[in-house]
Amino acid sequence: MEPHKQEVPVIKLTGVSFQYEDKQVLDEVEFTLERGDFVGIVGPNGSGKSTLMKLILGLLTPNKGTVELFGQPLSKFREWNRIGYVAQQVAHGAGGFPATVREVVSSGLVGKVGLFRRLTKQHHESVRAAVERVGLLEKLDQRIGNLSGGQLQRVFIARALVAEPELLILDEPTVGVDQESIDQFYSLLRSLKEENGLTMMIVSHDVGVMSQWVTKVACVQKKIHFHGTAHDFEHNQEKILQSMYGDSVRLLSHHH
Amino acid sequence: MLADWWQYDFLRYTLFSGILIGLICPILGTFLIVRRLSMMADGLSHVTLSGVAAGMLISKKVAFFSAVNPLFFGMLFAVIGSLFIERLRKVYKAYQDLAIPIILSAGLGLFTVLISIADGFNADLYSYLFGKIVTVSIEDLYALIGVAVVVLGTVLLIYKELFAVSFDEEFARVSGVARRSINLWFMVLVALTIAASMRIVGVLLISALITLPVAASLQIAKSFRQTIFLSILFAEFSVLSGLYFAYLLDWASGGTIVLMAVLVMLVVLGVKKLRVAFR
Repeated sequence: MEPHKQEVPVIKLTGVSFQYEDKQVLDEVEFTLERGDFVGIVGPNGSGKSTLMKLILGLLTPNKGTVELFGQPLSKFREWNRIGYVAQQVAHGAGGFPATVREVVSSGLVGKVGLFRRLTKQHHESVRAAVERVGLLEKLDQRIGNLSGGQLQRVFIARALVAEPELLILDEPTVGVDQESIDQFYSLLRSLKEENGLTMMIVSHDVGVMSQWVTKVACVQKKIHFHGTAHDFEHNQEKILQSMYGDSVRLLSHHH
Repeated sequence: MLADWWQYDFLRYTLFSGILIGLICPILGTFLIVRRLSMMADGLSHVTLSGVAAGMLISKKVAFFSAVNPLFFGMLFAVIGSLFIERLRKVYKAYQDLAIPIILSAGLGLFTVLISIADGFNADLYSYLFGKIVTVSIEDLYALIGVAVVVLGTVLLIYKELFAVSFDEEFARVSGVARRSINLWFMVLVALTIAASMRIVGVLLISALITLPVAASLQIAKSFRQTIFLSILFAEFSVLSGLYFAYLLDWASGGTIVLMAVLVMLVVLGVKKLRVAFR
């Protein structure tokens, strides 16, 4: 086989620091996400993991360092439809919004279709396909207020998928979702990775559940304390957590 | 009685204005309400009021402006007010609804001061406050047609962006939607609509027409699109029946329209309750 140029990483953070007013949240973070990775970002509350995600999405700007997406610096990056984003569900408070599953998922195409343009027949087809992919086809024209927490979360996945992104970023996607739906949810993510070749980054404080599903784990506490395979993480969990949390680790590990 | 509506110019103007208001107010209202900004209309209407008062004062004191419709001053103030609200919402990020009472009291304060400077105004002011059929002029109608064309054009052209921003602002931003420009433009449209609708329902009652029909349609609509369509239906019914009775009984048009809108909402709530009870 011919030697080929190494593929550019999907996400690359170099020396990224960020502070809110006088509180240093992230300090000289180095982080790389390769194509096909399914990485879990873990860390306690206030560890900077959500900040890390917001920096990657361009919702915040780093004080120092650079963020590159698909090889382009963030300031020049315009191909936002290559990235799908699923926010924390509690942040939506969307249940009362008078929209159907179809309308919400269609809104995922807003960036791809472009200003002043209308959705074509093909777009409507892809909305239907995305809803089917998350197993909610029979709810297509239901108001989202009639859905359970787990179903609503899958609607948001469909909204992120409909524009056919290469990278999916999920922020605490299982908060407010019951245990059974959580397993369903992760197996959906896994099949998206395996069948559609999506690269995924998932931010969660629920280390126990997540590390069973992802392929890589990165632990954030101001810096990246560990970044490796989920397998290595499982084996060194005690040590890694101790370096991040100090003594409070005992409390945490009792949970699982 | 009904024939009067075609015979007299002012009634025809009123009818056309009413139909246009019944179309654009609930459309903008739907977006405002789902974004929890329904009080915005109230805040802006008070700023518009101060603009109208300023317009009346200037046309009274400065000969050059004597022919200028105070409505245009109202529009100008409303647009400036809407820009201020957007600015204030950024300054008070954690208390976004604070922008509205600030603007509301500033508008009302300015209004009362302007009235006292002018030593009171004639009965004309009453019509701006509560709406009065006989005061609708062809100029008012043209202004309203202009605003309606812009509002409808905007909603048709950027419906999906407006929906995306209203449903989930952060997601819209990550999708590359120019959320700031869209918010700003939307607020300007709300301001213009309020100013242009003033003659019919009056500044104090305009927010009722923006919110009540939507409140009714939220109860029964099966989708966002349907929420908009039903609210237009309810608003048109309120406006037309309200105007009819106001003329028939010589009541204030604004108040009558609002009462009809309240009635529609109560009927919708009642019917919904009955349907649930007998299911």
